[in-house]
Amino acid sequence: MIKNYIKMAWRNLLKNRITTLLNITGLSIGISACIIILIFIKYESSFDSHHSKAEYIYRVVQHNKLPDQTLYWNTTAYPLAEALRSDFSEIDMVTQAVGPVGREFSFVNQEKQQIRFEEKDVLFADPFYTKVFDAQWIVGDKNTALEDANSVVLTKSIVEKYFGLDSKNYQQVLGETIVLQGKDPLKITGVIKDFPANSNQRFSILIPYEFFKIKNQYFATNWSGNYQGTTFVVLKDKNTSSLESKISSWKKKYLKPEDDERISYFLQPLIEIHNETLYGSSPEGYILSSNILFNAGIVALFILIIAIVNFVNLLTAQSVSRSKEVGIRKVLGSKRLDLILQFLLENSLVICCTLCLSVAIVSILLDILNGKLSIINLQLALEWSHIVIIVGIGLISIVLGAIYPALVISSYKPIRALKNKFGSRKKNVFNIRRSLIVFQFVVVQLFVIATIIVGIQMNYFKNGNLGFTADTVLIVPTPEFNKIDVFKNSLLEENGISKVSFGSGPPMAVEGLQLGTSFRLPVQAKKEARNAEMKIGDTNYLDFYDLELLAGRNFTTNKEVFDEFIVNEKLLESYSWTPEEAIGKRIQINEGQATIVGVVKDYHNNSFQHEITPCIILNWTYFQNQAFIKIANHNYLAAGTVRTIWEDVFTNSIYKRNFLDDSIAKEYAIEHLVYNGFIIFSIIAISIGCLGLFGLMSFVISRRTKETGIRKVLGATAIQIFSSFSKEFIGLVIFAFCVAVPIVYYFMNLWLEEFTYRINISIWMLASGGLITLIISIITCSFQSIKAALTNPVNVLREQ
Amino acid sequence: MLLQLNNISKWIQSGGQKVFLLKDIDLWVHEGDFISIMGPSGSGKTTLLNVIGMLDDFNQGEYTFLDQSVHTLKEKHRSNLYKQYIGFVFQSYHLIDELTVKENLEMPLLYKKHGGSERKALVADMLDRFNIVGKKDLFPSQLSGGQQQLVGIARALIANPKLILADEPTGNLNSKQGEEIMEIFKELNNEGVTIIQVTHSEKNTSYGSRIINLLDGEVV
Repeated sequence: MIKNYIKMAWRNLLKNRITTLLNITGLSIGISACIIILIFIKYESSFDSHHSKAEYIYRVVQHNKLPDQTLYWNTTAYPLAEALRSDFSEIDMVTQAVGPVGREFSFVNQEKQQIRFEEKDVLFADPFYTKVFDAQWIVGDKNTALEDANSVVLTKSIVEKYFGLDSKNYQQVLGETIVLQGKDPLKITGVIKDFPANSNQRFSILIPYEFFKIKNQYFATNWSGNYQGTTFVVLKDKNTSSLESKISSWKKKYLKPEDDERISYFLQPLIEIHNETLYGSSPEGYILSSNILFNAGIVALFILIIAIVNFVNLLTAQSVSRSKEVGIRKVLGSKRLDLILQFLLENSLVICCTLCLSVAIVSILLDILNGKLSIINLQLALEWSHIVIIVGIGLISIVLGAIYPALVISSYKPIRALKNKFGSRKKNVFNIRRSLIVFQFVVVQLFVIATIIVGIQMNYFKNGNLGFTADTVLIVPTPEFNKIDVFKNSLLEENGISKVSFGSGPPMAVEGLQLGTSFRLPVQAKKEARNAEMKIGDTNYLDFYDLELLAGRNFTTNKEVFDEFIVNEKLLESYSWTPEEAIGKRIQINEGQATIVGVVKDYHNNSFQHEITPCIILNWTYFQNQAFIKIANHNYLAAGTVRTIWEDVFTNSIYKRNFLDDSIAKEYAIEHLVYNGFIIFSIIAISIGCLGLFGLMSFVISRRTKETGIRKVLGATAIQIFSSFSKEFIGLVIFAFCVAVPIVYYFMNLWLEEFTYRINISIWMLASGGLITLIISIITCSFQSIKAALTNPVNVLREQ
Repeated sequence: MLLQLNNISKWIQSGGQKVFLLKDIDLWVHEGDFISIMGPSGSGKTTLLNVIGMLDDFNQGEYTFLDQSVHTLKEKHRSNLYKQYIGFVFQSYHLIDELTVKENLEMPLLYKKHGGSERKALVADMLDRFNIVGKKDLFPSQLSGGQQQLVGIARALIANPKLILADEPTGNLNSKQGEEIMEIFKELNNEGVTIIQVTHSEKNTSYGSRIINLLDGEVV
């Protein structure tokens, strides 16, 4: 029996090749998209959960209370770890790490050649680090590897990259020496496996924290400032609140009274770090809010549902051609259950094929995706969570997509079915199908309109007025202050370079680099200080970036000890000064005191998601560690010249460069990801929706062939017939548009509210989304209805 | 007595009025009968045949099939009854296009849960009996109309029914093919199979033993 069903199914699928193809394509698009999104969600929500103690590991975070705001920091002062370790018995282990930071290394290889390289993920970590987080040691003694200050532990990828060894020979690197920043020799004491990509613990080289401590005595013992230190604790039980309150009364033992008032410590579970935006991301890492993941889940669900809806639509449309078979089978002795089983089996067969196809598509797409988004590494693996995802989607598809059509088809009464006479009675089913189409098109238009709005907001990010000039600006590091003038003079001799300036960073904080300070009037108490950004710029800085002076003047000279400030308008708001009033006022910042000599018009010192904040520019030679080079006339060949000059001047370092506009674009990486996602999902939704429309159109036309024939005999033109078919569907699409608009308006407004600087949703954005969908659906309808309209009526009527 | 209809009526409501499709039909059929139902288009021939075949229900009257009163049976028992005892032959054959001749013949046996070897034997018998062994692996579309109807009859017979209901079995065939089919019905009838056919053709009635003439749903 089963054999007979399968044979039957197979022949039927072959016979209706086109419909089968539409069916399988539509569903596999939907299922693949859904699987990919779920794998992505699984990946993004399981950051760091692979550590065996993951449940008990907490990051110590710091809330920093200022008069006007509270700052949430994921870093803590360096001495905190040591103090926690000695004072709390309920803490199992404490570990601290600094970084990751970029460092240069060199070593002499077996051929006596000097190899130099730079790694951006260098972490200074204490010996507890590899115990708190599960490090897998390939060679080296895990208990002593990080004990000696001048030791270093490498990851497997580093050994492979620079030493060219395969895993059997790792023993050879033990005891070798590599030199840090050209001066400190470090002995290699171990090699560990790289942490999985879905970890916020990003490092490729571990250097003992002890080394950092020796080199940075001041920072390492300072309780007031946070630099790049993170502290993790492993608790014996998960009762964090009692520990948090103990810490809050304990901290005054170490903190100065004003710091004790300002600083409070909390414990954040390790596994929540990646999906919590409050504390921001660590260098080289990224944060993805659980909100985005939740929305991605909803998108996945919608795509799966419209794909299944489409599948059901096409199947029930097809069932007309199967009705005769149902009639015959019933007359020949089939029970309804037999028929249900038969069609269920047949549909499930299609779904299973589709599922296999989707798995293949997914594995190909993931490879492409990993290549495109270098920060993530998604793999389809034979692991439980992925099997559950795939089998789960398969079961949902079978329950929703196979059972209903089987029930509908098997319910046909034999004589009616044999005579194809069930049309008039099935008005009901058709209505279900119409609502399904409306539902599909609501989803389609949601996606299309959302894509348009996200696209326009992205365009605003890219082309919005920054308040400064950012194009054709090349940024290179200047590792040695005393060579800045030589470098500058050589650059300016080149034709392709029009301007050069030095400073701590471009006007907008990019690459995660922003210097923070606080400001107050000299007469105000320290605790009244507010937060500000500190920027160091030379005398050319304002001119270089076209920053507009509202009052006062530019710096006259750079100083070893700064004595002039240029501030932005935003800072004046704190004291309600006009630009003219501000000139000559003295301001106290963490680093010292100086007079305001100029006020610049506000420019975006933060990316568009965030507000413009108070900003102070200093004429300080210290911290001028970046050179800004303006390339004249978009002549990018000059970038090559810059490199040659740079390598001539800074002989001991490794060249690297960024274009400012690229760096700014990176600030919108997540939004760009969302945008790309929306484009892809709109295309998917449109294709599935159109497949559904196409299917429904074939269904209606096959039901109305006789009517068409009669109409034509009575003199209807092809156009009249075409419009009689299309009118109804266009109506459905328009109805769907009306449903979609308020939903999309609400959600896109919600999305836009995350950005301080944003576009307003206007009617034309909504309307153009509707129009695009309408045009595409008219085209889809035309294929079938034109064919029907052009058929010779004799052929149709003769069959009766 | 194979079956008996007493005062069978069937109607539809149209604009507040009853339109009779069948009216007060009385009919006795004995085993071994070969009955022809005749009448103009719309006189209710097919409806009567469908009622006898239990594919269609009726509004009034009594129907007894092999001493079971059909009108009191539930839908499920009724369909079990016709599945067991009645074979159908259709004007447009109604073979399943996606199955070969052999598979079409096998299908009723599958639903009656016959074993594999038994099915093979029965199918082989039928192919033999109707001289279509050579066609067993062809699909219906590869056969002539007469051959398709042969398969249709063979399929109706394979489960060994007591009664064959044929709705214009020669309606789509040319006269020569039609004669061959009628000859086969005659032979089957001689072997003891009860046959009720609906026909337009006077000539076809000559193969049967009794004629029932219908006009506007009534026996005349």
